[in-house]
Amino acid sequence: MWTDVSRLDLVGRRRAILSYTLGMGLYALAIVALYPTFEHTTGLDKFTKDAPTVAALFGATGSLISPSGWLNVNLYANLFPLLVLLATIGYGAACLAGQDEEGTLAMVAALPIRRHRIAAEKVVAMCIQAALIVAVVTAVIALGHFFDISVSALDLWGASLGVLLLGIDFGLVAMAVGAATGSRGNAIGVASAIAAASYLVSSLAPVVTWIRPARFASLFYWSVGNKQLTVGLGVSELAVLLMTGVALASVTIAAFERLDLH
Amino acid sequence: MTTGAVGITAAIETVGLTKIFGAVRGIEQLDVRVEPGEIFGFLGPNGAGKTTTIRALLGLYRPTAGTARVLGLDAHIDSVTIHRRVGYLPGDLALFGRLTARDHINWFARARGLDGTRRARELSERFSLPLDTRAKDLSTGNRQKVGIVLAFMHEPELLILDEPTTGLDPLVKHEFEQLLRETTAAGRTVFLSSHELDEVQRVADRVGIIKEGRLVLSETVAGLRKRAPQTIEVVFRLPVDSHRFQIDGVRVVSSQGPHVVLEITGAIAPALRIIADLDPVELVSRHAELDELFLDFYRNNTVMTASDVD
Repeated sequence: MWTDVSRLDLVGRRRAILSYTLGMGLYALAIVALYPTFEHTTGLDKFTKDAPTVAALFGATGSLISPSGWLNVNLYANLFPLLVLLATIGYGAACLAGQDEEGTLAMVAALPIRRHRIAAEKVVAMCIQAALIVAVVTAVIALGHFFDISVSALDLWGASLGVLLLGIDFGLVAMAVGAATGSRGNAIGVASAIAAASYLVSSLAPVVTWIRPARFASLFYWSVGNKQLTVGLGVSELAVLLMTGVALASVTIAAFERLDLH
Repeated sequence: MTTGAVGITAAIETVGLTKIFGAVRGIEQLDVRVEPGEIFGFLGPNGAGKTTTIRALLGLYRPTAGTARVLGLDAHIDSVTIHRRVGYLPGDLALFGRLTARDHINWFARARGLDGTRRARELSERFSLPLDTRAKDLSTGNRQKVGIVLAFMHEPELLILDEPTTGLDPLVKHEFEQLLRETTAAGRTVFLSSHELDEVQRVADRVGIIKEGRLVLSETVAGLRKRAPQTIEVVFRLPVDSHRFQIDGVRVVSSQGPHVVLEITGAIAPALRIIADLDPVELVSRHAELDELFLDFYRNNTVMTASDVD
């Protein structure tokens, strides 16, 4: 059956996925519930005006007390994508390289299942996990309507789609490195390093002139670094994130075909 | 299609199979042929290349050079078809810790497209496998039983088993050996990798010994027994000059006065004629145990095949 490998991984990780999703949902609920307390604290905006570079390091640019600014600085510009990345990079590194190191992947690969199908099903499993986390968190944020947070539903879900694709893309970087090297450590290390550099570039680009041109190389820019919460996820942004994902998935599948399994 | 002298497709045939890991040798120029319906014991010390060979046979490793054919199919190109017809028990069996034995069986049955799990249930009962305990809570022996059930449950034409009795108690080992005999009696083939010399000589029809990545022996167990050197201990009436025994096929193991121990390979008559001339009073003869022979191959670099013996 086409879903065997995906289901095996999802069933094995179901508790971790549900706990993680619940934790992130509760965090998002706390953020939206706190908004009425801070929405008139104009002193917060002074922070981004007086120390824009430091504020940018934390993903804070522009107004912090507008609904979109509040969500951006507390969720979309940093923790939301970073926590999704933790899940996807973690799974991306574990599902091929990690399981090969444990020895379980060879048991699956010795069954009558083609390698490209195994890799493709792992990609599907990662997408499902990331989609669940992003959907729950976004649904909770949408409750912000009851806490004075008025953001267009289209923009909100568009920005969340950006976070989802960002997470999947970096998870695929981890999968590709894992498939090419067979090392879980390399997979986590390379994907995390690229993600950190990408985050820094996107965060600092609005306030550091010489970094600005490099923002186009940052997946963070294409997903959450270009005011997606106020103007939505554009077609070009969607295309970049999707094409990157397709390219990385292709590299992963090709590399996995050649990987020696233990 | 790979066929032998009598036109039968080999269950396994490798030609010049080589796998190099960077600067590290895995296997080198390995030529192995396993006939259908036999139990082939694949012996060798740790690190000799047994597991590397098995992984290459299953297409898990891409060979650096040479070819491997399994059931007449290319091990790499036709790996999915081969996997459908082969049962595999890895040497360092890893199970999914949170899944029970029953979960494993059901998942493998679904992945293999089996209609049911009747055979798996039979094997589980036969080996007293606890089906509802999570794999991470099973003992080493019970985890190994799960691996055995998973390898045999689809009644494959060929079983590739890497150290299959690791962690099993003697009773279960005995039951497992019985299962191997039943398997070949039904016309199926077993490739049994092991360093358990006793086990292999009890169940195998033929053995291959691999050392440092190369096959140093390929022979039937019956042939090995036949050509195993004889040890003869003789007590003479008077001390003798051991130089009298310096003839082809005879090695003087020890000589102390009238007490001489000889190791004889091949015809025994020339040595017996010399012994008779020296007035023996007592003579004891025995064949070397096969495990002594295997150990000798482990230690030495002699490359020998059945054709050398014949």
